[in-house]
Amino acid sequence: MSDALIPRPDTITVAWGWFQFLLLLTFPVHLLAMNAMVGGLAIGVVQHFKGGPLRLRLAHRLALLLPLVIAFAVNFGVAPLLFSQVLYGHLFYTSSILMGPFWLAIVPVLILAYYGAYLYDFRFQQLAGAGRWLALVILLALFTIGFLFVNNMLLMILPERFAAYFSNMGGSLPALDHPVLLPRYLHMMTGAVAVGGLFVALAGRFQADRDPELAAQAREVGMQTFFWGTAVNVLNGLWFLLAQPREIMLIFMGGNILATICFTVALLVVAIMLVTAWKKRLWPTFWLALTVVFLMTFLRAWLRTGYLQEVFNLGRLQVVPEYSPMWFFFAILLLGLICIAWMLKKTGEAMANS
Amino acid sequence: MNYPVWYLPEIGGGFLIALIAVLHVFVSHFAVGGGLYLIYAERKGLIEKDQGILDFTKRHARFFLLLTMVFGSITGVGIWFIIALVNPAATSFLIHTFVFGWAAEWVFFLVEIVAAFVYYYMFGRMDSATHQKIGWVYFLSAWMSLLLVTGIIGFMLTPGDWLNEQGFWRGFFNPSFWPSLFFRTCVAILLAGCYGYLTASFTRDDQVRQAMTRFSGKWSLAALLAAIPCGGWYVLVLPEQAMALVQGKSPTIAVSLQWGLWSLVGFLAITLAAGILRPAWNLKPVAFAAMACALVAMGAFEWIREAARRPYVIGDYMYSNMITKAEASELRVSGFMPSARWVQNRELSADNQRAAGRELYVHQCYACHTINGFNNDIVSRTARMSSTALTSYIGRMHEIRPFMPPFAGIDSEASALAAYIVGDLHGKEVTEESAGAAAPGKALFEGNCSSCHAAEEIPTMFSGRDRTGIIDILGRLAEINAEMPPFAGTPVEKEALADYLDTLAGGTK
Repeated sequence: MSDALIPRPDTITVAWGWFQFLLLLTFPVHLLAMNAMVGGLAIGVVQHFKGGPLRLRLAHRLALLLPLVIAFAVNFGVAPLLFSQVLYGHLFYTSSILMGPFWLAIVPVLILAYYGAYLYDFRFQQLAGAGRWLALVILLALFTIGFLFVNNMLLMILPERFAAYFSNMGGSLPALDHPVLLPRYLHMMTGAVAVGGLFVALAGRFQADRDPELAAQAREVGMQTFFWGTAVNVLNGLWFLLAQPREIMLIFMGGNILATICFTVALLVVAIMLVTAWKKRLWPTFWLALTVVFLMTFLRAWLRTGYLQEVFNLGRLQVVPEYSPMWFFFAILLLGLICIAWMLKKTGEAMANS
Repeated sequence: MNYPVWYLPEIGGGFLIALIAVLHVFVSHFAVGGGLYLIYAERKGLIEKDQGILDFTKRHARFFLLLTMVFGSITGVGIWFIIALVNPAATSFLIHTFVFGWAAEWVFFLVEIVAAFVYYYMFGRMDSATHQKIGWVYFLSAWMSLLLVTGIIGFMLTPGDWLNEQGFWRGFFNPSFWPSLFFRTCVAILLAGCYGYLTASFTRDDQVRQAMTRFSGKWSLAALLAAIPCGGWYVLVLPEQAMALVQGKSPTIAVSLQWGLWSLVGFLAITLAAGILRPAWNLKPVAFAAMACALVAMGAFEWIREAARRPYVIGDYMYSNMITKAEASELRVSGFMPSARWVQNRELSADNQRAAGRELYVHQCYACHTINGFNNDIVSRTARMSSTALTSYIGRMHEIRPFMPPFAGIDSEASALAAYIVGDLHGKEVTEESAGAAAPGKALFEGNCSSCHAAEEIPTMFSGRDRTGIIDILGRLAEINAEMPPFAGTPVEKEALADYLDTLAGGTK
């Protein structure tokens, strides 16, 4: 039944490996921005609630950055969503429809949270105590969006649940009772808070010349959050792994040699990263965290392949070759990055002069 | 048929798309033209060394950032979400065909974000020449986004040669690409003036308010004048069928055209009177009235463009209900239910006829119709029809109403669909027998006329006319009303129908 319900995919224009490469390249970038957004705000909220002049300064600094990181989290989410739709669109569109109203609710919730973020930034002083409650509401809205995303990303790899459509054609949450949902969500969000700690420490570092006290506070709070967040997330990850069906879990334990190596390397890097975080060494921790986010993205791809192996694999996608649009895209990407680099250089110069 | 249908019977997915899309385009076009407006407003302030105008420009940039970056960009993602929910087949097709066009558009979106932030946050903190260049980077990347999206939207209306020989570039540079791009550029610039007018109305400094109101008024007027020939060019490249719909064959378009034209007139009047001639009249209510006119005009244009594409979602390739033209031909032979993935009643029987009819409604009609909703309500549109008449109409609806897709199924499926609508939605009796043999005139009436006319209306309609007069009218239906298709039957059938109408009208006179 589940097999019969899987829609026929459209043809692709270049070999699937290109799309997989672009997906695995852009998704970690989105994750980093999303982590900065969620984790940065979470730390800002705690600082705001705890109060005190220094903590308020840090909360204010994070409030200033919040609209910027939301903009980049959204933008960096567009590319992986696009490339994943090319590869898995037939499954993704189906799962989105199955949870239609909830999926669409992301749009108004995000608009409200985004405007809330600007209000929190522009009116930080005037809002006084009410600001922390506003920030908390925004944070809860972002956690809700994360929950809906995790729901959909899980549901799209569970075609055996697609038949739930016939009992509610207006949309429901058919993956809600799946044993993997909660650990997957917690793994994603705890990771976000942890990496958000690094973002906070970095935000402080860039202010070190102007406000060394703030920079020290940001480093202290950020690195602590990263250490404890990562430690908790190791346990979440273990729960996530054990909640998997046995054949999926075994992929990372010898079932697939590359996945096993990747998993082992990721665990080793996490162990080293915990040591560098404990010693509050920002840059080594940052580079190691970046590596872990990429490795975890690769593991996620293997997980998805494992869930779908009975019904679909990327090799089944039919290619009708047309490569010139891809070269056009790469040229535009290069041009865009040069343009952005020029604007950032000019901004840096202007800020240095002012 | 390949995908499930997100089914909200009273609301309809089309309404949700229209709601999000109209609001989005009203802001996204501003996001393009507004960039150019900011550059020239700042330039005016710099040339005239007027700090008031520079302050106005910075305030406008803040409004611009808040509106385009939050509402504009998130509703843009929202359109992607809603079209994928409502029409996943077309969305998937567009994503797969133009993936690198979308990807390039994402790059320009990223450049736009960086440029918009730098422009706003560095206003007055950067040398003005570099600041203006940042403004240009913003505008050009926003315009490139418009260009890329226009190519793909234009493809949906006029796929042109792509239908014979597929390919990204052939589809992208479709017949309506250039006129549409020029037209939308003018609209984007026009809307920028409109938004500038709004910011001006909130300005306390009277001198700056009047200066920027006049500036915005002239800006909009120039764009409006440029938009007229571009719009004419756009209309000229429309395919024959779309042109016929725009010229009156589609009632939806006729109403939208009226709304669009009147709001344009209103906008022009406000721009001329309270913008250029008497800028002191630019008070907040007047500026909001101009915004409302512009929103309605924009909404009407987008609504007309969408409606002109009917019955297709992708011109001459895929119907609005996600069935491709090629599939529809096959399904008329093999039947819809055995081929569709997301149905439960694959084999029709007397027991499941209504249930199957409901599934056929969901998969073939719901794309455009609601059940007791305000948008294209199927219940009110079929209220006059018996199941026999409806079955006959379903088989010919694409001929009678060329903006509707043909029914993609076999006769028994058409009967099932009619049985569901008449039996379940109207609660009326479903009759299986055909009136054809016993009463050919009645059968012809049900097949040709009853979709729009009830038998009770006939006495009034043909009051004072005899049988010859009725035959005369049947021979020139399109002259009486452009929406009415000509009677396609034989002379004998025409006479049989005339006899029946004559009887309904009160007997032979």
